[in-house]
Amino acid sequence: MTKKIFATLVAVIICFSAVISASAYTREYVIDYADKLASSEIEELDLFAEKLESAYGVSVLFCITEGTGDVTADEFSSGTYSDYTDNENGLIIVHDDWKKTYFSFVSGNADEYFSNAAIDSMIDAYDLNESYYGGIYACYELAEEYLENGYSGGYVNDSEPLNNDTDAKGASEEKDGVSIIWLPVSLLIGLLVGFLIINGIASKNKSVKMQKNATVYTRPGSMIITGSADNFLYNNIDRTEKPKQTEKK
Amino acid sequence: MSTILEQKCPCCGGAVEFNTGAQKLKCPYCDTEFDITAMPEDTSNQVEQINWNSQGTQWGAGETDGMSVYACNSCGGEIVADTTTGATTCPYCGNQVVMKGQFSGALKPDLVIPFKLDKKAAKEALKKHISTKKFVPKSFLTDNRLEEIKGVYVPHWLFTCDAIGNANYKAKKVKTWSDENYEYTETSYFDIYRSGNIGFDNIPVDGSTKMPDDLMESVEPFDLSQAVDFNTAYLAGYLADKYDVTAEESMPRANERIRQSIIDSFKETVKGYDDVENQSANMNIANGIYKYALYPVWLLNTKWNGENFTFAMNGQTGKFVGNIPTDKKAVTKASLLLGAGIGAVIYGLMWLIELL
Repeated sequence: MTKKIFATLVAVIICFSAVISASAYTREYVIDYADKLASSEIEELDLFAEKLESAYGVSVLFCITEGTGDVTADEFSSGTYSDYTDNENGLIIVHDDWKKTYFSFVSGNADEYFSNAAIDSMIDAYDLNESYYGGIYACYELAEEYLENGYSGGYVNDSEPLNNDTDAKGASEEKDGVSIIWLPVSLLIGLLVGFLIINGIASKNKSVKMQKNATVYTRPGSMIITGSADNFLYNNIDRTEKPKQTEKK
Repeated sequence: MSTILEQKCPCCGGAVEFNTGAQKLKCPYCDTEFDITAMPEDTSNQVEQINWNSQGTQWGAGETDGMSVYACNSCGGEIVADTTTGATTCPYCGNQVVMKGQFSGALKPDLVIPFKLDKKAAKEALKKHISTKKFVPKSFLTDNRLEEIKGVYVPHWLFTCDAIGNANYKAKKVKTWSDENYEYTETSYFDIYRSGNIGFDNIPVDGSTKMPDDLMESVEPFDLSQAVDFNTAYLAGYLADKYDVTAEESMPRANERIRQSIIDSFKETVKGYDDVENQSANMNIANGIYKYALYPVWLLNTKWNGENFTFAMNGQTGKFVGNIPTDKKAVTKASLLLGAGIGAVIYGLMWLIELL
């Protein structure tokens, strides 16, 4: 009977995980037409961008290409953006590696996070790095900083104030589920809690132990406190930054 | 040979036993009941001495150390017991016998708590104890055999005193608040001092090396208000030992429990803090006196997989203790099942919260 229950539970968990995994696919945020990045690097950068989108509701895409074909730079960047994301709030930076030029496209309320100066800084960060992967990573790090500043009510680097209400709304509208990374974390927490509960029950099988004290033999009313002092020694104040709010207002 | 005492029925001459239900001596042969006080404490003038001479080899020097030999007054059989045995059963005729010398003079207990619960109650308590536990190996439930059950009067030293002590604690208060960007935690540390007096009555310490100390402390407490002056008649039908741990040797354990009681009791007066930790404690003992008492305990020995398991029941209150083996495979399986279930629920809730 126990074996059947065990097998059923395992099957349910596997099915549950599989369904969730299928729906929690990683989207493409880094488009490498020029074939400059390894697939593992693209995967890592995609995860970074996905994290930004989950936290702030803004898609940050990066494209490396060798030429734009028959279309203009603006048409190429807006077309690529719409090909790879449905999010109306976002930014794409395109690096034409053949012409050694950069151009970008900003969609929806992303312009409240990324001013022209901010985009220039991101391109500079990319350009200064020797590797393509390192450059895009640096660019995403800067993007995160701008998004974080804008989201917490700060200012982007060209001193434009941001509208927090709009940011929060934008962030909350684009939720597409919990990352699969949280599945093993949840299982680990579950196993830890399960282990503690079951071992707590099993420990009741041991009932032989030395008594800790003799309080049960205290003469009723015999305790008299003759001296008492509470002296302050010192204090510490710790300050920790609040986690950013991602839930709906 | 040492002399032994048997409680005989004045009506039929059978060996009488202490009856827990009636709290009287009762003859199992003619059902006559007697008050404890009606029985003579010493009936040595009625004792028939029967001595036999051994034709075998004699004990060598030192071989009989720690061993006493008694002759049964009923059948003349030789009862071999260790030097601390105070009451036992004749292996030949089953009569209950009390070794008088073990409880005479300075060795006489001041108090005895008579058995209130009988052997049947102890057996039922064992069944209940095992059946209510989880993760017990199935084979333990089916193959576990009760090897022996015996009612034993266990010698205890009872310590009464006034303790004067002081204790230092380190305490802390934690206060948290937040503003728009940060959360703040202020932890304030304090040095706490308390001194005072506490009286303790009859702290028991096991006076027998035969009995595991942890097992004896686990069946505590006993209700000493039901204790009576010692009379050998209470020992009829049970085993009994005289102490082989002296009061002086038992004092460190009593002191240890008193010290911890001072720390714990004074700590309860430290209020308004989030965490209190003891740093040090000192104590002095005044008006310390001790008594010698016999406490009733049922001991049950079982055997499983070649391993012995000892259980004990307070013969007065019925408190039952004893360690039971745990099925490690069952524990691991249950931990994994429950853990996977909880993990799935957590992950599902995360999805639910995210999607709502």
